[in-house]
Amino acid sequence: MLELKNLHVEVEEDGTEILKGVNLTINKGEIHAIMGPNGSGKSTLAKAVSGHPEYEVTEGDILFNGESILEMDPDERAHAGVFLAFQYPVEVPGVTNTTLLRESYNTIAASRGREELDPLQFDDYIREKLDLVEMKPDFLERSVNTGFSGGEKKRNEIFQMAVLEPALALLDETDSGLDIDALKVVANGINKLHGDDDAVVLITHYQRLLNYIVPDFVHVMIGGKIVKSGDKGLALTLEDQGYDWLEAHATVNGEAK
Amino acid sequence: MALPTKVEPSILHQLAKGVAENGETKWKDLREKSLEELNTTAFPHKKIEEWRFTDLRPITRTDFVNLDEAGTLPATNIEQYFIPESDRSRLVFINGKFHEKYSSIGGLGKGVTVGNLSDHSEDETVKEYLNQLVNYEKDLFVPYNGLMFEDGAYIHLEKGAKAEAPIQVLNIYTDAKEPYVTTPRMLVVAEEESDVTIVEDHIGLSENRYMTIPVSEVKVKKGAHIHHVRIQRDSRDAIHVARPIAYVEKNSEYHAYTITLGGKLTRNEPRVIQEDEEVDFTLDGLVLIDGDQVADTHSVMDHRFSHAESHQLHKVVVNGNAHSIFNGKIFVRRDAQKIDSFQENRNLLLSLDGLVNAKPQLEIFADDVLCSHGATVGQLDPEEVFYLQSRGMTEEKAKEVLTYAFALETIENVKVESVHKLLIDEVYRYTKANNVEKVSA
Repeated sequence: MLELKNLHVEVEEDGTEILKGVNLTINKGEIHAIMGPNGSGKSTLAKAVSGHPEYEVTEGDILFNGESILEMDPDERAHAGVFLAFQYPVEVPGVTNTTLLRESYNTIAASRGREELDPLQFDDYIREKLDLVEMKPDFLERSVNTGFSGGEKKRNEIFQMAVLEPALALLDETDSGLDIDALKVVANGINKLHGDDDAVVLITHYQRLLNYIVPDFVHVMIGGKIVKSGDKGLALTLEDQGYDWLEAHATVNGEAK
Repeated sequence: MALPTKVEPSILHQLAKGVAENGETKWKDLREKSLEELNTTAFPHKKIEEWRFTDLRPITRTDFVNLDEAGTLPATNIEQYFIPESDRSRLVFINGKFHEKYSSIGGLGKGVTVGNLSDHSEDETVKEYLNQLVNYEKDLFVPYNGLMFEDGAYIHLEKGAKAEAPIQVLNIYTDAKEPYVTTPRMLVVAEEESDVTIVEDHIGLSENRYMTIPVSEVKVKKGAHIHHVRIQRDSRDAIHVARPIAYVEKNSEYHAYTITLGGKLTRNEPRVIQEDEEVDFTLDGLVLIDGDQVADTHSVMDHRFSHAESHQLHKVVVNGNAHSIFNGKIFVRRDAQKIDSFQENRNLLLSLDGLVNAKPQLEIFADDVLCSHGATVGQLDPEEVFYLQSRGMTEEKAKEVLTYAFALETIENVKVESVHKLLIDEVYRYTKANNVEKVSA
């Protein structure tokens, strides 16, 4: 589904290279966890895949379902089925959750050949999804993320994922800022949403989330490269030993599958 | 009346001359006083601090004529601007002249007077307050209005009277062969414990140049409440110089919301003056401009007594070559303690060629006050645009939604339903029309 080939990415503004040749293949039905210390390039990877204009691909390619998406705008990537749950979700005062999601749902539906929903149908549809993240209906009429607590914002991202049903979900530190109960709710929601036809990428610092969502593959990113890949056992090793042992020989470029 | 001009005569002085010599009026004393003021007051220019950012050439370089020489065309199809809530409480002025056939007065029952000022020139309230509340230093526009107006809106609420419906004051400006000057006038006196909502609308029917100089005086007596919405939808080539002033007595509330959409040059100088303790007032504004529009707001919130709460949110969206100026003065006089005053000026700059001058100006002489103020000028946040794009919106749509959301906050307190809806439509029209221009990240 997603193939990153020797991906080099730099910050457009100052030309700093952040990703220095990432190779990664993600197939349908898989859950991948990308771990690594601060500044290793994990968030950049997610943003580059979803098309953030601040990050420029200088070398390599991003293939989605076999086709390069480098020339696609972020909205076109969303239409194709890419979803990014933001590390810091943006507040949009004046636009309600429902308004945003109906707009999003219908644009995506139109481009993926699904049926668009009128406001009444849509209302029924999203109310079902609320239960997945255990949110109250009044949440729908609040302005997007405005005045939300950190935890509510993260839940809202997963709620949006539930509504939009992406083929590829990139979850950027969705676990940070969540207490243990909220973490369970969010993890549970993600598990229910995940199926054979979609893939999930969890970007996280901590093994904690992986107690609730079991990844098929774990990758470690250091210095803009994937230095080690393995199964869920790798996360436990990292929890135990930290990243130091990997930083020492961070020259290997790991590849999943 | 002779005209011993003591200052360099401007176009306004020249226009005044003809009228001053022609005399028939119900406002003889007011005219004489205004003429005297006019003749000793010079036309403003950029060297005066209060006018340094404002390009006045649209006024000085236009050959304005008096209204009766302008060849004005008739007003057509103006019913579309009537708000349904005010079908029994509407005053219509066309180029400043009262039109009874479009108006609807006397529908608000006992204790509420709605009418043409010139039909009430002998009322005690009019005699007591008309032209007594205006307080603009060295100002040419107020005396010009005082000299020229004959008709005007008059709204009076007796003690305890509650107007059941909002009162619409509709100022229509028509097309004409020559650019003209018009002087709408309004006097509102809300006696103790009364309550009224006023929707003041200025609408240009065409794209012609004219200058309107509306002056409104509002007196909010003890415990009275006024909700005042002012919508400026002038012709894109019009000049609008407004002087709305309100006085708030003990326990009263005055909430004003001004929406500026039209005009080539707008200079709005709203003032609220506190006359006793325990008051609550608002002077919010929304300005949406593009092309070569200039919108200038110079406001004064004058806290003269203790225990006041005041609120001013002034939001501006600038596109094209448009230019916004904001100077918000907040005075807190000595001994005016326990003041809670909020002022914020937020500017959204959509184009590289737009210009914003923002100047909050706080003069605080008391020590136990809470005054927060801020001014920001910014572009759409690229992170916000990306967020919406990542949810499937095109870049244009995302920018439109964000601009719309930015503007919406200032009108959500407008409590007349049809006006609220109308303003949402206006905001939508603006954001839709302005989403083509590229925003640099």
